[in-house]
Amino acid sequence: MEYDIEFQGVSFRYAGAQSDALSGVDLQIPRGQIVLVTGPAGSGKTTLCSCINGLVPHYHEGELKGEVLVRAYHTRRARIGGLASLVGMVFQDPESQLVTSSVADEVAFGPENLGVPRAQINQRVAEALSSTRLLGFEDREPHNLSGGEQQACAIAATHAMHPEIYVMDEPLANLDPSGRAQVLQMLIDVAKGRQKTLIIVEHSLDEVLPLVDRVLVMNEGRILRDGTVAEVLAAGDIPRVFTRPEIVRLAERFGLDPKTFSAEKFYTDLNARHPLGMITPAERLQPTSTNSSQPIIEFQDVHYSYKNQTAALQGVSLTIHTGELVALLGRNGSGKTTLARHIIGLLQPERGRVIVAGRDVAVTPTHELTQEIGFCFQNPNHQLVAFKVRDEMTFGLKAHNIDPAEFDQRVRRALELVNLLDVLEAEIFDLGKGQKQRLALASVLTLEPKILIIDEPTTGQDPQMTREIFDIIKHLNELGTTVLMITHRVDYAAAYASRAIVMNRGQIAFDGPVLELISDLEIMQANSLDLPDVTKLALQLHKHGVPPWTIQYEALEGYLAQLVEASHGD
Amino acid sequence: MAIEYQKGNAFLHRLDARTKLLLFVGMTILAIVVVDPLLMGLLFMALYLVGARSVDRKLLNSNLRILIVIFLTFSLFQIIFFTSKDAHFLFYLIPVKNWIPVTVQGLVRGAAVFFRFFSVVLAVHLMLYTTPPVDLALTITKREQNRRLGAELTSTLTLGLILFVIAHLTKVEEIQALSADIRVRTLIVLAASFVLAYILQKIIGHGLPPEMGMALTLGFATVGLLSKQTEIITDAQKARGYDVKPKNLIRRVQVLTALLLPIFLATLERSQDISVAILSRGFDYNISARTYRRQLKFQSIDYIVLTLIVLLLFAGMYLNYLNIGNPTEQFILNLLANRS
Repeated sequence: MEYDIEFQGVSFRYAGAQSDALSGVDLQIPRGQIVLVTGPAGSGKTTLCSCINGLVPHYHEGELKGEVLVRAYHTRRARIGGLASLVGMVFQDPESQLVTSSVADEVAFGPENLGVPRAQINQRVAEALSSTRLLGFEDREPHNLSGGEQQACAIAATHAMHPEIYVMDEPLANLDPSGRAQVLQMLIDVAKGRQKTLIIVEHSLDEVLPLVDRVLVMNEGRILRDGTVAEVLAAGDIPRVFTRPEIVRLAERFGLDPKTFSAEKFYTDLNARHPLGMITPAERLQPTSTNSSQPIIEFQDVHYSYKNQTAALQGVSLTIHTGELVALLGRNGSGKTTLARHIIGLLQPERGRVIVAGRDVAVTPTHELTQEIGFCFQNPNHQLVAFKVRDEMTFGLKAHNIDPAEFDQRVRRALELVNLLDVLEAEIFDLGKGQKQRLALASVLTLEPKILIIDEPTTGQDPQMTREIFDIIKHLNELGTTVLMITHRVDYAAAYASRAIVMNRGQIAFDGPVLELISDLEIMQANSLDLPDVTKLALQLHKHGVPPWTIQYEALEGYLAQLVEASHGD
Repeated sequence: MAIEYQKGNAFLHRLDARTKLLLFVGMTILAIVVVDPLLMGLLFMALYLVGARSVDRKLLNSNLRILIVIFLTFSLFQIIFFTSKDAHFLFYLIPVKNWIPVTVQGLVRGAAVFFRFFSVVLAVHLMLYTTPPVDLALTITKREQNRRLGAELTSTLTLGLILFVIAHLTKVEEIQALSADIRVRTLIVLAASFVLAYILQKIIGHGLPPEMGMALTLGFATVGLLSKQTEIITDAQKARGYDVKPKNLIRRVQVLTALLLPIFLATLERSQDISVAILSRGFDYNISARTYRRQLKFQSIDYIVLTLIVLLLFAGMYLNYLNIGNPTEQFILNLLANRS
């Protein structure tokens, strides 16, 4: 059999690294296969991809053992440019891979490098743009596109090179749910349409699993599992490495087909097997709790618009009380970040007032507001200012003239909160992505803010790291900090926050208890918010008495067990 | 203030990038050739009127206004220090001590210098405002492997003829010293002009190696992104409680260094991203055989503009050749002579 990609005993160690990024990988991928590669951060997925397109060992230096063959070529002897004509690679961060000043130039860049004649380039550009639904975007600047459009542009740019193999390294990580579904479908269409091999790296399995032929699970540079979707799912979970989607786990628990990915299929199969009756769970949706504590953030009819653009905020009024944990949800570009920036005075309302901790933001300088408010940005690299963790931690303290005698105690307390005390003396460059995110949070916590605003704390992190961050946020809230977090993750928001605010086109589309939000299908769909799988299933089972706001896996499992038991009891 | 490309489809936008580059070069040479302030002023006005039709007038004015003071200073220097021996003396700038004489020639030259500088600056502005940087980079990048013989021949002939005329206009004595026979003389000059033209067009036609051209293109594309990133970083710093504009100077320097580190890191990171991105898209496939989507093509309007520039150059040189290159100065001097 002829393989597109073959790894023969491949190990790789980055120059200066302590351990192997890949160790003893043997792998054969036949032509036309669609393969999902999954595993926790740092498990070697990206290195595996880089081996295929020759970045390892030609760009990233290190020690490569074994052979990687792409078609008939040994990557060790081929050039990256040569391999690029065979292997099209798309990376996680769309912005970092767009290099020219217009979409059309971007898509033409690859074919130009390959020396494709001009007439054909224009044809390929048109074709690639139409298959990624970007027609009409030719003259737009890539860095002014939305995340989803940028990723589509990167895919178009790769597609126009007509590669034999597509390698996608977490192409969905930076997108919002509606963007994710669209880009994923586009990827599959592009590869299947031309019957090419596709390798896709992804953390969130529930969306990708139904679409792929084969799954690789990696950890610590090794392939732990390799097989068809059914085989890999049947082998069960691996703690901290591989957690199957909730519906799959429930399907196994109740003896259904392990390749059950949709709530609808689960429900039909379950009903066929055990005709379902009714249960009457004791739980009731708690009425909207009227928060009696002090208001700490107040927006009064706030309007704001960016230069030459439509209004970003249109008459926003809301009150957040001391001690609340609020999730701010909505599509990309719906005004979430604009709203958050008003709280700390980075933006001033054009009309209306913003009052934070009793002070009018319009007349209070940002650096004074920061004594009360901690603000964490999406990309930790943007707010880290020092080379050493200790310097980073004390920077804010110095800026606010805190007594140096308190430094050590405050730094330690903040690092302890985010579980990073062991890196106190480390260099920031040596930290991993998840650690940097937590460090950025810790450096804000040294000032012991009363209010914490966090913008997308979990972008590009694996499920384990995501859970850690949310646990920390929850813990801080329990200690009395008022928290406003911007997030795409409805499932986590529902599990951790009590109140949700949904923004849509600069207006508040919903403001109330999270559980009320997830039971309101209309609002969820109108804002392209994706229900957690558990809730989707609960919704299907609503007519059998299961509360539609169920979000915990265990709770749903309990209800299902009751239902099945009742069905057999009759 | 950066001069950024303004999208549009006006007259100047439609010109070929090479025409605009040559327009700028031509304007610079004209600014050297033409010495009369009135003629230079007319040239400036003409260019300004053309430019204001293609670029937002307010933007153009605000950019030029900043330079008025600087160029006036230049003019003042000319007025003060330009004192040839036979210059027509007017008055002393500091009368009591008889310091710094001001002459008619100095004043005229000062006024001319003012317009000369402005014309060159205006030409640069118009070029940058109406040409995508990518196209500009492309004009100076070597692209086609083999240029067509016809194109090469045409450009050599045109350039040769221009050089031939220039030689006759500017180096009259030298040419006459070459040989007694006028036919031999002409032949020598013609041959020299064509050889020079051939070499020149080879050099111009060669252009930058594609690697450098692409580096320029990619660099231009990064400017917008980096400035956006700088904005984000500044905001992040503000949000961490740094007073970004403190009154205390030492504190301000400290804040600036805190700002520079992440910006520096972001730039470094960006350059690595770019190298990975372009390598993955086949940048080193075979760079000398690279093709280009963007096509530079001369249209009849480009030829008209180029001819106009060449004609203006000739006219300027011809005026100098006839010793009537500076009518304004002549006119004033005559006026003064008649009165005295």
